[in-house]
Amino acid sequence: MIAKTRDHSSGTFRNLITTQKAQKGDERGIAGNVRITSHNATPKLSLYLPALFVIVLACIPVLTKNPVFLQIMILIMWYAYLTCSWNIVGGFAGQLSFAHPAFAGLGAYVSTLLFMYCGLTPWLGMLVGGLFAVLIVITIGYPCFKLRGAYFAITSIALAEVLRIAVENTDELFGIKIGGPMGLLVPLRGHSPLYMQFTTKEHYYYVILAMMLFGLFVTHRITKSKMGYYLAAIRNDVDAALALGVNVTKYRLLAAAISAFLAALGGTFYAQFVLYIHPSGIMGQYLAFELVFIAIVGGRGTFIGPLLGAFTLVPLSELSRIYLGGGYSGVHLLVYGFLVMLVILFMPRGLSAPAENIYLALERRLRPAWALERGDTDAAAKR
Amino acid sequence: MPLLSVKGLTKRFGGLLAVNRLDLSIEAGEILGLIGPNGAGKTTVFNVINGFYPADEGEIEFEGTSISRLKPDAICKKGIARAFQIVKPFGDMTVLDNTIVGALARTGDLKKAAREALDVLDSVGLWDKKDVLARSLTIADRKRLELARALATKPKLLLLDEVMAGLNPKEVEETVALVRKIRESGVTIFLIEHVMQAVMNLSERIVVLHHGSKIMEGRPQEVANDERVIKAYLGEEYTFARSS
Repeated sequence: MIAKTRDHSSGTFRNLITTQKAQKGDERGIAGNVRITSHNATPKLSLYLPALFVIVLACIPVLTKNPVFLQIMILIMWYAYLTCSWNIVGGFAGQLSFAHPAFAGLGAYVSTLLFMYCGLTPWLGMLVGGLFAVLIVITIGYPCFKLRGAYFAITSIALAEVLRIAVENTDELFGIKIGGPMGLLVPLRGHSPLYMQFTTKEHYYYVILAMMLFGLFVTHRITKSKMGYYLAAIRNDVDAALALGVNVTKYRLLAAAISAFLAALGGTFYAQFVLYIHPSGIMGQYLAFELVFIAIVGGRGTFIGPLLGAFTLVPLSELSRIYLGGGYSGVHLLVYGFLVMLVILFMPRGLSAPAENIYLALERRLRPAWALERGDTDAAAKR
Repeated sequence: MPLLSVKGLTKRFGGLLAVNRLDLSIEAGEILGLIGPNGAGKTTVFNVINGFYPADEGEIEFEGTSISRLKPDAICKKGIARAFQIVKPFGDMTVLDNTIVGALARTGDLKKAAREALDVLDSVGLWDKKDVLARSLTIADRKRLELARALATKPKLLLLDEVMAGLNPKEVEETVALVRKIRESGVTIFLIEHVMQAVMNLSERIVVLHHGSKIMEGRPQEVANDERVIKAYLGEEYTFARSS
């Protein structure tokens, strides 16, 4: 019975939180009768927009089979997914991490090696890779979380680099061929969904779409939970959070573990998609910088940021790669850097700020129409 | 049995003796003031009780059990909350969300936490600003928010570190009334304060700290007239000038 009431109440509460911002303007007018929830207004838009987004994405492979376009879309979603995972630590918990290539690399290597030596399908191998990443977080992350600010960032770089260099210099470990700097070729199985290998891009497209939606779902759940509140508190002021009963180490570790697990799954997808992994590709700092750039441009610590950032920066990088050719392979990073500079100067909250404004404006537009059908007096509103 | 008892508390920072064998106790339902000149070690006492610094010596008991070795978050869960002297608002969160973080110390249910937070905001007079980002508050409102967050954790003992500093006389008056109200709701209060009018008004007992040691303890009037206290605050010359 307790569980039931809880469930019900947290549902309504979510409306309460999301509508507050939008309603700030008009609630003042109602003297002595402050309304803070409206049961129908926001959920509609916040339900329809994501639904529309998912439907459009799901339809793309039906409408076009252009492999270049699908390739770019897959990369966008892969980066969006990885940035989602990064955002849990780097955004919500506010700890600038460059360690994510290590987690993605672990996912890629563990699942690939299990596939090669045990014949284990990457669908399960990716979970094992995820567990390895969590293990690294718990053993190495625990002392690291005592560090603040730049010191944490530097340590995270060290973690990723140590792993990359170790793998690059190891040809064989306990009789298992790791391949050193040459990397590993994933054994080909043709079109075999059971082993996460497909001959067409569409299948990969749907796999990564599902993963990205899962990543977004996880981050959404976090922002709307006690953990989300606690991470935001920790990000703002560790001492104040401690004094308010927040177990800072526990929540940071939890965030890092979830984040690393998700990143490792992304690494496995990369291995199965590209079918070739090598340390500087999947474990290099290059990848970490890209994730950080995407998050900053999109809006660090926001739910929608990774999506906005990936959909802006990845096409830019891919197009510059295609049109500027191999001779200018660093150009897209220049573009990245320039954009990040602009964003930091003029949009400290990234693209998520204008996006939110558009969303709220849209909502205001639609509200009068919905106001008629909504009967929103809520007990939570006091006075 | 006192609600909080501090026995022989000593805290050193390198060669500096910040708190020197301090004994004090607070009965449930009381308002105890802690005063002393700048650098007397008042905030350090709070930081040790609160778990931010480990005590070098001495024992702190809350409701009969030792809390000397607990971390701040565990101490908060035991029922000691604190408003910081240097306010620490969660700047990019709204006032309501700030307060919800406090309320979540006692419940995992967000809706329940929100209701409690709204109640608290109502009682400290921040209801109108609940949707404002904390970083855009004035200093007076930030102090109120500090108080609101601490109250939301449903403390038995509330440590108030100069919540009146920087407020104008009217705001001080409001805060004094608010602190009384909080006490009437059953919360024991331990406050550090420089605004004498407020601390004399509010406290039933006052402990005076000077160079880390307790030099005096008593009722506000006794403390105000005590030679040692005046000396500590105003220096030898003043007492000399006054007596001659």
